[in-house]
Amino acid sequence: MTTGSWWRRAADLTATVVALVTVFPIYWMLLSALKPAGEMQSLSQRPWTLAPTLDHFRRVLGAEDFGRYLVNSLLVALAVVALSGLVAFLAAVALTRFRFRFRSTILVMFLVAQMVPIEALTIPLFFLIRDVGAVVPEVGLNTLGSLVLVHLAFSLPFAVWMLRGFVAAIPEELEEAAMLDGASRRTVLWRILFPLVAPGLAATSVFSFITAWNDFLFARTFIISATDNQTLPMALLVFFKPDENDWGGIMAASVLMTVPVLIFFILVQKRLVSGLGGAVKD
Amino acid sequence: MSTASTALAEPRSGVRPAPAGRRTRLRMRRRTPLWLLIPAAAVLLPLFVYPIYQLGLLSVLDFRQAQVSGGQPTRFVGLDNYLTLLRDGKFWSVLLATVGFAAACVAATLAVGAALAVLLTRVSRWPGYALSLAAMAAWAAPAITGSTVWMFLFDANLGLVNQVLGLDGHNWTYDRYSTFALVGAAVVWHSFPFVMVTLYAGIRAIPEQMLEAAALDGASHWRSFWQIVVPMIRPLLVIVVIQSIIWDFKVFTQIYVMTGGGGIAGQNLTLNVYAYQQAFAASEYGLGSAIGVVMMLILLVVTLLYLRALRRGGEPL
Amino acid sequence: MNVRLAKALAAVLVAGLLVGGCAPATAPSSGGGDDKTTGTLRVWLFDEPNRAPKQRVIDEAVAEFTAAHREVTVDVQYLAVQTRSERFRGAFNDPASAPDVVEFGNTDLPEYVAAGGLADLGADVDGWAEGKDLGPDLRASATTDGKLYGVPWYLGVRALYYRTDVFAELGLTPPTSQEQLVAAARKIRAAKPDLFGLAVGGKYTFAALPFVWDAGGDIAATSGDRYTAAINSPQSRAGIKAYTDLIKPDNCPPQQCADLTGGKTVELFASGKAGMAILGNFNRTAVEAGAAKGKYAVVPLPGTTPGSIAPAFAGGNNLGIMKNTQRRTLAADFLKLLASKKYQQQMYDAMGNLPTLTSARTELAGKEPFLRPFLDTIAAGTRFVPLHPGWGKIDAQAVIPTMLEKIVTGQATVEQATDEAATAITAALAQ
Repeated sequence: MTTGSWWRRAADLTATVVALVTVFPIYWMLLSALKPAGEMQSLSQRPWTLAPTLDHFRRVLGAEDFGRYLVNSLLVALAVVALSGLVAFLAAVALTRFRFRFRSTILVMFLVAQMVPIEALTIPLFFLIRDVGAVVPEVGLNTLGSLVLVHLAFSLPFAVWMLRGFVAAIPEELEEAAMLDGASRRTVLWRILFPLVAPGLAATSVFSFITAWNDFLFARTFIISATDNQTLPMALLVFFKPDENDWGGIMAASVLMTVPVLIFFILVQKRLVSGLGGAVKD
Repeated sequence: MSTASTALAEPRSGVRPAPAGRRTRLRMRRRTPLWLLIPAAAVLLPLFVYPIYQLGLLSVLDFRQAQVSGGQPTRFVGLDNYLTLLRDGKFWSVLLATVGFAAACVAATLAVGAALAVLLTRVSRWPGYALSLAAMAAWAAPAITGSTVWMFLFDANLGLVNQVLGLDGHNWTYDRYSTFALVGAAVVWHSFPFVMVTLYAGIRAIPEQMLEAAALDGASHWRSFWQIVVPMIRPLLVIVVIQSIIWDFKVFTQIYVMTGGGGIAGQNLTLNVYAYQQAFAASEYGLGSAIGVVMMLILLVVTLLYLRALRRGGEPL
Repeated sequence: MNVRLAKALAAVLVAGLLVGGCAPATAPSSGGGDDKTTGTLRVWLFDEPNRAPKQRVIDEAVAEFTAAHREVTVDVQYLAVQTRSERFRGAFNDPASAPDVVEFGNTDLPEYVAAGGLADLGADVDGWAEGKDLGPDLRASATTDGKLYGVPWYLGVRALYYRTDVFAELGLTPPTSQEQLVAAARKIRAAKPDLFGLAVGGKYTFAALPFVWDAGGDIAATSGDRYTAAINSPQSRAGIKAYTDLIKPDNCPPQQCADLTGGKTVELFASGKAGMAILGNFNRTAVEAGAAKGKYAVVPLPGTTPGSIAPAFAGGNNLGIMKNTQRRTLAADFLKLLASKKYQQQMYDAMGNLPTLTSARTELAGKEPFLRPFLDTIAAGTRFVPLHPGWGKIDAQAVIPTMLEKIVTGQATVEQATDEAATAITAALAQ
């Protein structure tokens, strides 16, 4: 028993150290955002501060229209989450509850789609969105709509792929019973399946959210001159003046950008773990 | 991990044939799945399939700024763009760097992720909880903020690392390999949680009885790990391996942000940053597209491996 | 359900129509022509190290403009110089979201004109009283094929800034030859290891070019209207060697200086970390805002021949109007306001920008000793990069910085690196 508890203690210690190392960059980000400017410029940085200040946050939220970009980013990400959740749910139902001719082909396509280097598609998408914008100005270049469109497309394949498992995990007997009771197909879909899949949908949404939230490539390429429609990552790059890195501002902006994702992750954490590990359950 | 994937295999119950009568009633109208799929098709055909087609088209055209907005005619050049690439020493060195960098990142991510997943099954409640939470935080941090904080930690003058190590003014992004190592560390930090969480969940899903039975048979921890745990989570292992390859091959943000778009004399370029620069900075849209196509082909090979591995692992699609 | 199905089908149909658009469309040639008198006027200006003073002047101009045009708002965006090229390309490719008034470097003009992005300003300037004050040379610098595509907004030439306190302490006098310059740089570094002698960077093209020109070399040579790279000529190589030899531990170690940009050089000198630096008249405010304030002076950058001045790059920025602007008159009005004598003078006070209007420049030269070394440099003769659309590409592909960085980091010899750069330059200028 003594060797066993020795091992356990060593494992606990290792885990604690690794946890501290892993979380350290996040801690440093938060700390640096709260440090007064003088301490930031100091040549002997300390891992704590005795005079925390919200100056950097104030400056970020005030001067650079950061609040506006935060709202833009949230709008885009939430629109993508809602749309991709809905579309993916329907597709996942089709792909798990029905057997039809091109089913596996379609499945493979959803898989292949995840492998496409999206950076390479910026070029054709730029022209596409520009031409679409000539017909439907709401989703043309320079609009938040264009960002919703592309992120919807890029988050969908994975959302379908992951959601499939959650749909499949729901016993078919439930739907069958409802249909025997005379429920319409639509009722079965929205009143029975949808609520049951919803928790899985939430877990899946994290990934759609991240796709939209993290992007700076499309924001940078598509939002050409409409300053009002910039998103957060772009604003972060604004602070990133190559010549005078304002680290306090950058870190405060980074904190503001990380917090929403962190909250989302913690909320769906349990689902995420069970969803990811589901493959070996028998 | 925005494009992370898992193969959530259908629990076997989903495949089990239902009683014949009810089954036909449910599945008779074959048109139904079509309308369920139409929204997805409406999004993906124009916004995914069509751009890929356009990418291929652009890659065989002489398509530069003068063609886009200067009113000059577009010219078909066949495989010229590809030949230019193959003859370009820079392309080869970038390709090599991309593959090497991705391979190193994948190896490190898997080693760290797998080791920590096993560690997680051995620790007490609170250290385990702390590790999970820390990993979640690293996972959740957007790539761009992760990159900036890593850069700050390693800043030549104001960075904590140099101050602690007493290396004042040491520039971590000067040497090619130290730059790649730094970017790689940020990438691994960001991606190991996915591996850890997935594998940990897989290990936890193994029925206790199997391990207990093995222990009763006198198998050591070590033996039961290799003979029971590893085979049981093999499908998941395949997934995290291939997924990491795909993801690390496509690393963009970290390189772009941390090396200022490719490092000193472009020594830290990877393929997709290179493609983006050719296309958008140098306005060689044709050439940039050709690089994109080459990348897609390489990833397609990976995809095929992925599918084969899945099939061999007995995963129903 | 049928309604829904019909809607979905309609969506697919629309998508199909879009797909039918086929070949990668080029920029719509229509657009523009409109001349709205209300709405938002979008303006792109360059970001600068220490932008605040510039922004104050611009804000004042905007206030004056919107006071006269009550139904107009002006949206000013400051572009980072490093990413300007992709931003401008985006604007050319989608005229609908392009800005109206832009500031751009005079080196970028041929490329932007070839891309069809800029409007002809000839008539606007001819009908503008203060426009007559623009010298013929300057007009010519913004003219291609007989059309005027930009209004020169300010001139920028670089000279040698040095720290008077450091020079006095070490008994140095301002260098009058390249040899003295190098000696002074090494002496400063040796005596004060925490200072760079002369801050020079691998990404600072316009500090390197004077060395090339002074040695008798050039980026490219013309024969007729064809360009061939000359960066690998013996003369050019001598200049490049002289420059890269400065990026050594005895002056500016490669570790810190290999990826130094022009902007970062300004920062270094301003914060007191360099004994000397090659900076422009337009960097004055940034230097004044730092620790070097009151402890510096400027002389022309010396050439190899004692007493000579190394040819400087005739830098400067223009103001232009995007061809597809929907507010042509407003854009022209705002441009003329920014380019007026009043604001050129304010920009000098704020940033040290040398006015392009002859009268404004003469007035300043009389009363501002600060400008002397810069005016002397101009008088000694300035040089320019190839006036060719391909220069934009050479710049965007970072051909010259890559060349310098390869030499400095020992990845290539001067010969190899210059040959490589020459291939890229010839290719870009052949298109």
